Amino acid sequence: MALMDNYLPLLVFFAFGILVPVGTIIFIRLIAPRGEYPRKHIPYECGWLPIGTAKIRFNVEYYTYAIVFLIFDVEALFLYPWAVSYKNPLITVPNFTLIACIEMFLFIVILLIGYVYAWKKGALEWIR
Amino acid sequence: MNIEWILSNYGVLLPEAVLTLFAFAIILIGLKYRSILGYLAFVGGVVSLGLVIMNFSVNATLLYNSLVFDPLSQFFKVVFLLVTLLTIIASLRYYHGNAHQGEYYFLLLIATVGMMFVASANDLVSLFVAFELGSIATYVLAAFDKENPRSIEAGFKYFMIGALSSAILLLGMSLIYGITGTTNFTALSQMSFEMSGYTLAALVLIIAGLGFKMALVPFHMWAPDTYQGAPTVVSAMLAAGSKKMGFVAAFKLIVLALIALRTEWYMVFAVIAVITMTYGNLVALTQRSLKRMLAYSSIAQAGYIAMALVVVSYTHVDSVVNLAMGGALFYILSHAFMKGGAFLAVGTVGYMLLRDKIKVDEDDIDNFSGLSKTAPITAFSLTVFLFALAGIPLTAGFVSKLLIFSAAIYGGLAWLAVIAILNSALSLFYYARVVKVMYWDKPKFDLKGEPTAYVVAVLLALLGTVLLGVYPGPFVDVAMKVAEVFL
Repeated sequence: MALMDNYLPLLVFFAFGILVPVGTIIFIRLIAPRGEYPRKHIPYECGWLPIGTAKIRFNVEYYTYAIVFLIFDVEALFLYPWAVSYKNPLITVPNFTLIACIEMFLFIVILLIGYVYAWKKGALEWIR
Repeated sequence: MNIEWILSNYGVLLPEAVLTLFAFAIILIGLKYRSILGYLAFVGGVVSLGLVIMNFSVNATLLYNSLVFDPLSQFFKVVFLLVTLLTIIASLRYYHGNAHQGEYYFLLLIATVGMMFVASANDLVSLFVAFELGSIATYVLAAFDKENPRSIEAGFKYFMIGALSSAILLLGMSLIYGITGTTNFTALSQMSFEMSGYTLAALVLIIAGLGFKMALVPFHMWAPDTYQGAPTVVSAMLAAGSKKMGFVAAFKLIVLALIALRTEWYMVFAVIAVITMTYGNLVALTQRSLKRMLAYSSIAQAGYIAMALVVVSYTHVDSVVNLAMGGALFYILSHAFMKGGAFLAVGTVGYMLLRDKIKVDEDDIDNFSGLSKTAPITAFSLTVFLFALAGIPLTAGFVSKLLIFSAAIYGGLAWLAVIAILNSALSLFYYARVVKVMYWDKPKFDLKGEPTAYVVAVLLALLGTVLLGVYPGPFVDVAMKVAEVFL
């Protein structure tokens, strides 16, 4: 029975998670007024009438920014646990602070090289 | 004093550090100057190789026992660096004037660094990270000729299958961690496992994940397409180097860490080894593309090497285990020369056709007809490599097969040795067919001279193949000494 006790909150959470969206949908069905008219079938573009077709080629250049951003985002993520532990007195490894500092320095330098490379290759230039 | 402490402790990392430094220098210099990059990469490889050999009999651990530097790791590093050096020499010609040389040599060196770290890994986590470093760089390399749709296909297939296999491997590793509570190989090797469904699942997942990399048979589908489509210099690297990364990972993870489960993986590897060598040889018989044929022969060779794993799991006699693992190591070294050399020789012909503007499939067997007259050095070297792969005496292939097969016989697995010997006889057919085409058929194309860089690379591989075959003594001794790690 102890097992059930442990999992009971999870079960309630799960049931609630299913109940809320399903309940909302049913509730809306019950009370919302319905009307069919042609304008309802036009794609929604922030209230404007759609212009042209949706099947065009568009620029995907933004992805290089996304990649470069992602790299530095992850770097920042790594910096947090490092910053917490590099001077932690509980860690008794010899010269731990020094090693940790050198490692993080190397990590940042490697990312910096990547950044320089991306910059020089023109990944940060917007070509239209 | 602190600096001295770091140097004395981290000095064993120097080969990898040097290679990484060169890689970064290359990618930055490559933004402006391109002509010196190949030579720079070569120098980096040579320096790194020198440092590894100088430190060959080292025995050290680093980063809380997650990296280990012992003769086993150094042996594999030597193999990886030799293959990389051969690839670099041939690439000097193939990628001469290419606009993306910086990226090419960078990826090549980084892939090598990844493989070297796999050889040193002593922890599930460091093994996986190194494995990914070595893999991801090679995915890009396989697709490097991006104007060639085949190369794109090769890279794409390799990437999809590689990513899948990594996921499977990681799941297996996480199960191992869940069962034992440790990720360290040394700790794992001292565990006694209780046999349960979880252990079995973990073992199957790990074997499948590593089997993809080693191209053992149920997991081999990517290998022919990738080796055929990738630029031939890269195929040489993949077959001779990258594949060995799977083997060193298997040796470390399965033979060293999970030795307690040996009775469980005995049957698995026995079946896998047999179907791998048989299937590889049978399918290779009908190939017209030489790169595809070499890919299937590479699968068959992986089957022979996997025999060592069967022997180790079956027998408990130290001397036989030593013979099997030493044989496998020697096989891996000689396979690096034979297969690397064969791919480079095929690449030489492909390059000559490209240079002389003859528009045919680069590796069709017809291109090789009469090669002994138009490109005698390449034809002779390819002959030696193919005979070595078949296991003809006086070549490296003979000695390595002798070691592994006799290990199987001493280990009480005579049936396995018989199957392997029959397979070797079968394989001679498709190897000899190429030799016949090269020496007895009339030349089809008028090729104008052999490219020097390729010839140098091929001749170096030839030197290795013949040296290991004619004078194997010291190398076998080294392999046996290294294999004592497994006792």
